[in-house]
Amino acid sequence: MDSIPLKKLLLDRNPEFWRALATATRAANEFDELLLLSALRKKAHARQLPPLVPSPQKIRLAIVGGYSLYPLHELLEHCCEMQGVPVELWLGDYDNYISEIMDEGSGLYAFVPQVVFLLPAERRCTYTGGLTDARELQEAEAQRLVDSLLALARQAHEKTHAEVITTNFLLPTHHDLGAFRSRTLGSDWTFRKWVNLELGLSAPSYLHVCDLEFLAHRLGGLAAGDARGWFETKQLGSPALLAAMARETAHLIHSLKQAPKKVLVLDLDNTLWGGVVADDGLEGIELGDTSPRGEAFKAFQKYIASLKARGVLLAVCSKNDLARAMEPFAKHPEMVLRMEDMVAFKANWEPKSENIRQMARELNLGLDSFVFVDDNPAEIDIVQQFAPDVTTILLGPDPAAYVAQLQDCRLFEPKNITAEDAQRTSQYHSAAQRQALEATVTDMNSYLDSLQMESVICEFLPVDVPRLSQLINKSNQFNLTTCRRSEAEVLAVMQDPRFIGFSVRLKDRFGDHGLISIVIGETTGEVMRIDTWLMSCRVLKRQVEEVVLNEIARLAQARHCRILLGTFLPTPKNEMVRDFYGRMGFTLTAETETKREFELGLDAFQPVPTKIKIVRRAYEPS
Amino acid sequence: MNQAEVIAKIQGIFDNLFLEPVTLTPAISAKDVPEWDSLTHISLVVTVEKAFGVRFRVGEVETTRNIGEFADLIIKRQLEP
Repeated sequence: MDSIPLKKLLLDRNPEFWRALATATRAANEFDELLLLSALRKKAHARQLPPLVPSPQKIRLAIVGGYSLYPLHELLEHCCEMQGVPVELWLGDYDNYISEIMDEGSGLYAFVPQVVFLLPAERRCTYTGGLTDARELQEAEAQRLVDSLLALARQAHEKTHAEVITTNFLLPTHHDLGAFRSRTLGSDWTFRKWVNLELGLSAPSYLHVCDLEFLAHRLGGLAAGDARGWFETKQLGSPALLAAMARETAHLIHSLKQAPKKVLVLDLDNTLWGGVVADDGLEGIELGDTSPRGEAFKAFQKYIASLKARGVLLAVCSKNDLARAMEPFAKHPEMVLRMEDMVAFKANWEPKSENIRQMARELNLGLDSFVFVDDNPAEIDIVQQFAPDVTTILLGPDPAAYVAQLQDCRLFEPKNITAEDAQRTSQYHSAAQRQALEATVTDMNSYLDSLQMESVICEFLPVDVPRLSQLINKSNQFNLTTCRRSEAEVLAVMQDPRFIGFSVRLKDRFGDHGLISIVIGETTGEVMRIDTWLMSCRVLKRQVEEVVLNEIARLAQARHCRILLGTFLPTPKNEMVRDFYGRMGFTLTAETETKREFELGLDAFQPVPTKIKIVRRAYEPS
Repeated sequence: MNQAEVIAKIQGIFDNLFLEPVTLTPAISAKDVPEWDSLTHISLVVTVEKAFGVRFRVGEVETTRNIGEFADLIIKRQLEP
């Protein structure tokens, strides 16, 4: 890597340095490249080079473990900042993690971390008895080790509400016991595999595993180990492994606050099949098990279908004649993907950036929820230029590598797959049917009546926490305060008697929308402040807003509140609710650039009638 | 490679690594260069190992007291089969 252009930008005090640094960081594969980039970043901060965009607030990250945390923490700090989640670090002492977590008076707790990164010592993950001990004895010791790690993570979490990330354990890479290694749980090979497996499967939702076994496997076990680094400076692994760990951990921290992408937009010719359907004809395109290239394209389609099964919405955007583009979907026997898998299908001669913008409007989603895949660099370039919020993936020259390219894009990783994710395509399909009905029913009231809507309102339940946090962290447009909360923070709200929190589910005769609205309120004396009010845009203009207001007022009155306070905090994406409180009958009481405050007196409040049947209310047994 | 040639090649690595230009001599060491902290040092060792195709043995880099001795160590490891 040539660092001269970067250094020149820095010496010229050009803020473009930051963009170039982020690009170089993405491209850097080697440990020493990352360290060099990190050093340049620190020099730029020391010289107070102004940022390109305002930096987000730093996340308080504590790292504790059985290794030297240096230079890992440098790489991690760098990767986090380049991912857009800058961190403020607190580093534990070498191999002091157990007492740091156990002792409430330790510096760890004085720091009040939001994320704790734990690196338990590998040398303690070993069976202390004999190789030929009874399997029950060996399993019991492995289980104790997993339990003690889970207990450490739980302590750190309970004392701070922090999310916890832990590494698991590297497997041995030398022959040592030979084939006998897999015939006993007493070998490090089998023992650590057992511990890693059990740790991952038993981790509660606040605990995230930085999977060293996987990272080392990907890198090659021999390339991941470093005995010299251990003896010299107590390093966990080779420089290459440290770099991979830093990237992975930054990714984990980033995904705590950031929801995965929602829509995968696909090109057709030479993306879903080989050849050009308009030229080669239905019979001429390469797809299916008759040729190696055809097999590769079919495998790519199968992988895309598996993304749909885990909740990703699929769409087509192709420079093509619509009828020709649709033909393979209807008639080609080897097609895996079918028309009904697509929530949008654009085949025309308009720029792809425009087509994707239109999809975003039709589906009521932000452009930053979209990922666009094409084999043609010119199309990728147009989308990057004219719809820069869309993430783009340029497929490489070999269709055999397409699947791996998507699998490594890291944009569709579920935190916890919820059943509702998997249903989403059918929800969007029924949205299309509903729009058709809307067009035929002229009177809005009779339309709403005909939908036969039913709503279940429910206080926050532990079982809903993953879904609640997911919606809180991905709703942008109908979101009054855009106050993000991790699963741990949602749990904290549930335990605090000053707060009320409820979610709203909606279904109608076309389908179940699932959980579509969330409210958090905080009572102080006679006032209830609406901390969070958000809603999925899929159900706009369906009177859910009114149902929610009625419920907030009801719960507030039950808590002897006389006033509701509503706040609007503007973001680039929530302009649509700027006047929402005004529309709902609140009075504007204060206004600045960054905040609008509203008030509604409850003494004279009458519930607004709606067409939605309320099946259950919050804090009431069903 | 002799010591001067090795130092000339390390000079290229330094030019990439450091913001302020440093002119290497056999006598120069970390304490003479403000930017040469322990982080840069780790970076330097990893880069040198790659650039020269050598692997230092445990503990031996820290026994070198200046660039001249470091260059001699590189030569010694290069001569190994």
